[in-house]
Amino acid sequence: MNTIIGERTRQVRAGRQRHQMAQRMWQERWRAPWFGYFCAFVGVVGVSLVIALVQAQTPIANISLLYLVAVLWVAVSFGRGSAICAALLAFLADDLFFIPPFYRLTVDDPNQWLSLFTLLATALVAGQLTAAARARAQEAQESRQYTETLYALAQLIATATDDSTLLTTLAQWGSDSFALAGVRACAILQTDVEGALTLCALTPANSSLMPLPDEETILRRANQALTTEQPINFSLPTGDALAGDSPSPACLACIPLRSNRQIVGALGLIGSEGMVRLIERQANLGDDQLASLFGAYRDQLALTLERAALRRQAIHTEALRESDRLKTALLESVTHDLRTPLAGIKAAVTSLLAPTAQRSLVAQHELLAAINTSADRLNRLVSNLLDLSRLEAGVAKPHLEWYTIDEVIVAALDTLERAGQLDARRIVVETPDDLPLALMDHDQIERVMINLVENALKYSPAQGVIHIAARVIRDELETRVSDEGIGVTPGELTAIFEKFYRGQQPTQPGASRMAGGVGLGLSICASIIHAHQGRIWAESQPGHGATFIFTLPLSPERPLGELPELPGRTETLALPA
Amino acid sequence: MNQMMNQMNEQAQQSNAPRSIRVLVIDDEQEIGRTIRAGLASDEFQVEWTLTGKTGLEEVTRWQPDVIILDLFLPDQDGVMVCRAIRAHTQTPIIVLSVRESEQDKVLALNEGADDYLTKPFSMPELEARVRVALRHVAGLRDHALREARFQTGGLVIDFERRLVTVDGVEKHLTPTEYDTLVYLAQHAGMVVRHRELLRAVWGAEHEDEAHYLRVFVGQIRRKLEPEIGAPRYILTEPGIGYRLRAPETPGD
Repeated sequence: MNTIIGERTRQVRAGRQRHQMAQRMWQERWRAPWFGYFCAFVGVVGVSLVIALVQAQTPIANISLLYLVAVLWVAVSFGRGSAICAALLAFLADDLFFIPPFYRLTVDDPNQWLSLFTLLATALVAGQLTAAARARAQEAQESRQYTETLYALAQLIATATDDSTLLTTLAQWGSDSFALAGVRACAILQTDVEGALTLCALTPANSSLMPLPDEETILRRANQALTTEQPINFSLPTGDALAGDSPSPACLACIPLRSNRQIVGALGLIGSEGMVRLIERQANLGDDQLASLFGAYRDQLALTLERAALRRQAIHTEALRESDRLKTALLESVTHDLRTPLAGIKAAVTSLLAPTAQRSLVAQHELLAAINTSADRLNRLVSNLLDLSRLEAGVAKPHLEWYTIDEVIVAALDTLERAGQLDARRIVVETPDDLPLALMDHDQIERVMINLVENALKYSPAQGVIHIAARVIRDELETRVSDEGIGVTPGELTAIFEKFYRGQQPTQPGASRMAGGVGLGLSICASIIHAHQGRIWAESQPGHGATFIFTLPLSPERPLGELPELPGRTETLALPA
Repeated sequence: MNQMMNQMNEQAQQSNAPRSIRVLVIDDEQEIGRTIRAGLASDEFQVEWTLTGKTGLEEVTRWQPDVIILDLFLPDQDGVMVCRAIRAHTQTPIIVLSVRESEQDKVLALNEGADDYLTKPFSMPELEARVRVALRHVAGLRDHALREARFQTGGLVIDFERRLVTVDGVEKHLTPTEYDTLVYLAQHAGMVVRHRELLRAVWGAEHEDEAHYLRVFVGQIRRKLEPEIGAPRYILTEPGIGYRLRAPETPGD
């Protein structure tokens, strides 16, 4: 929902921007100097005609004041220069057409001189005052627009959720806002820890107005700009198809971005040659609104890049610290978990080897059973560690094949049974007969099942039943392993999937000998399931057992056929020779 | 120590020379070799132990063992190559014993002629059972008269003549193809039967790549024979490789 609103706001904002741009372009056209003088002329001619018409009906004494209307209009619309021109034209027209002798510059009645010059003075003064007011209004308007645009930029930065979207939005904003100056596309490049540049955003990705340079070109040019630490302008080869459309040759301007004297990235502008003025003007004075807007944009961009770099650094440091913590935890756990069974083996063996010992057969058997258990425990620890390191290193890419989950469940229970771990525990498996084939790595999913069942055995009482169930929910295959044990507190529900996390100690004194994990089991499960694009989580009511659930995606392309039923043979099958 | 072992071997040879089963172990790990020799050393078995692939091959031709136990990680060459070399001139059963536990490693060794695969660490009774299964299979191949009219493992009984399958005395209705599949597994009871092999034997070569459907199919047989998954199981899955029907208990095991 939030994203939808965000999207809408962005669209509205973009729409408003485009409207402003259109307005500004209109004003720009009107500002062409000759147009103002032309309007002054037209205005004066028009007013002269009106005065002539009125004079023909009834002569009015101060009718020439009407010229002021034209002067004021021109002053409001085009400013000072046009207003002066209009005032002078009005003076001339009045003199030539309405003060005898007509069509001559001379004036018969000296009183008429007075009124003529009064007109000129009034027109000039009124024109100047109006033009000044217009200039101020225009300034206010522009600075309001400037503030609004900057505000929109600040808002963009403030509301961004992640760096890459923000940079793309900023690049879009840049190519929109500076389109007037000839910018067609914006590229934002970031320097990484080693100082190498990467292209983070290029918008629009392709322009209908001009062909964009490829990533490699942008990177090479930006690197050149970074070495000189100065903006550099490169001309681009013009695309044949568009040559007719773009009058000025396309070029790529690369501007290094600095924050706190440190280079944090580069901005690449792709557009017509005219946009270079934007950069140069900004460097020199910065009184042009668009140029100073560009300056602000550049600063904001540098700040954003710097912040992103700092954030990355913080994440990196955090990761290092975490890996440090894990190493320590691993060392401690492994030392403990390797030494314990080794100690058991050593003690039992030395006791058996002791020459003086006179032991009953029962006692000997007990010692041997202890050695056997310890060896199994060591083996499990080693496989877990191996699995984990393989999974972490990404070596153990799941070797995906089509299986039904019940086959894997059976295999897992078999392995546990052979390891003597099931004893007389009751395990109930409920799977529908028509389970679909799903893509999985048999060994890895079996490992998940083994770890989950081991976990259930470890944390539940000997008489508790363990339920395993599988079912299809929409496009996922869900498998649940539930126990009737001590459960998991809400605070631990996610922590248990972390490495080296161990739940509360098992309540069964006998069960703890079985435990022997270093808190790797569930984190291995999580790694495997994530590598299968599935989900894994735990649900629990403390005291009423826990349920571990994992899902595997069901591919719509799964094979749906089956092996044909054959008539059957009369003889038993021939054995291979 | 070695001298003592050799003496023991000689003693064993003297007392049981004609009837004992010759087991050749090719493994460079001292502890494994010593343990297998000690574990199998009885009146029934005669164990020879060699450290490299080269000496192993020499022993195969010279001593002519009944079963070969082969490690894949040998000092002079890869065990898979040794496997292939042995297969080039004898059908003596080979049981691979290795720390490599990935499906690919197992399939590779089986494709090169190994009969069975056991991962380290292993239990001695398991190894002994595999050795017996391999021997029984060879005996069955050699002598048709040894084939029995019925097969039994645990509560599962297959009566070949009446084409009848019962579990704990209760008759189970299998389709003809399900029956054929089960019989093929029974003829190789205790041994791993690869997907392709089973598909080719029951459905023919054109179906041999449809291992995924075989899984569904075997699942059906399982549901008929093993109504409760938690109960004893007869058809064991060898992940990524195939199936193994539980070997019948031999008297005296």
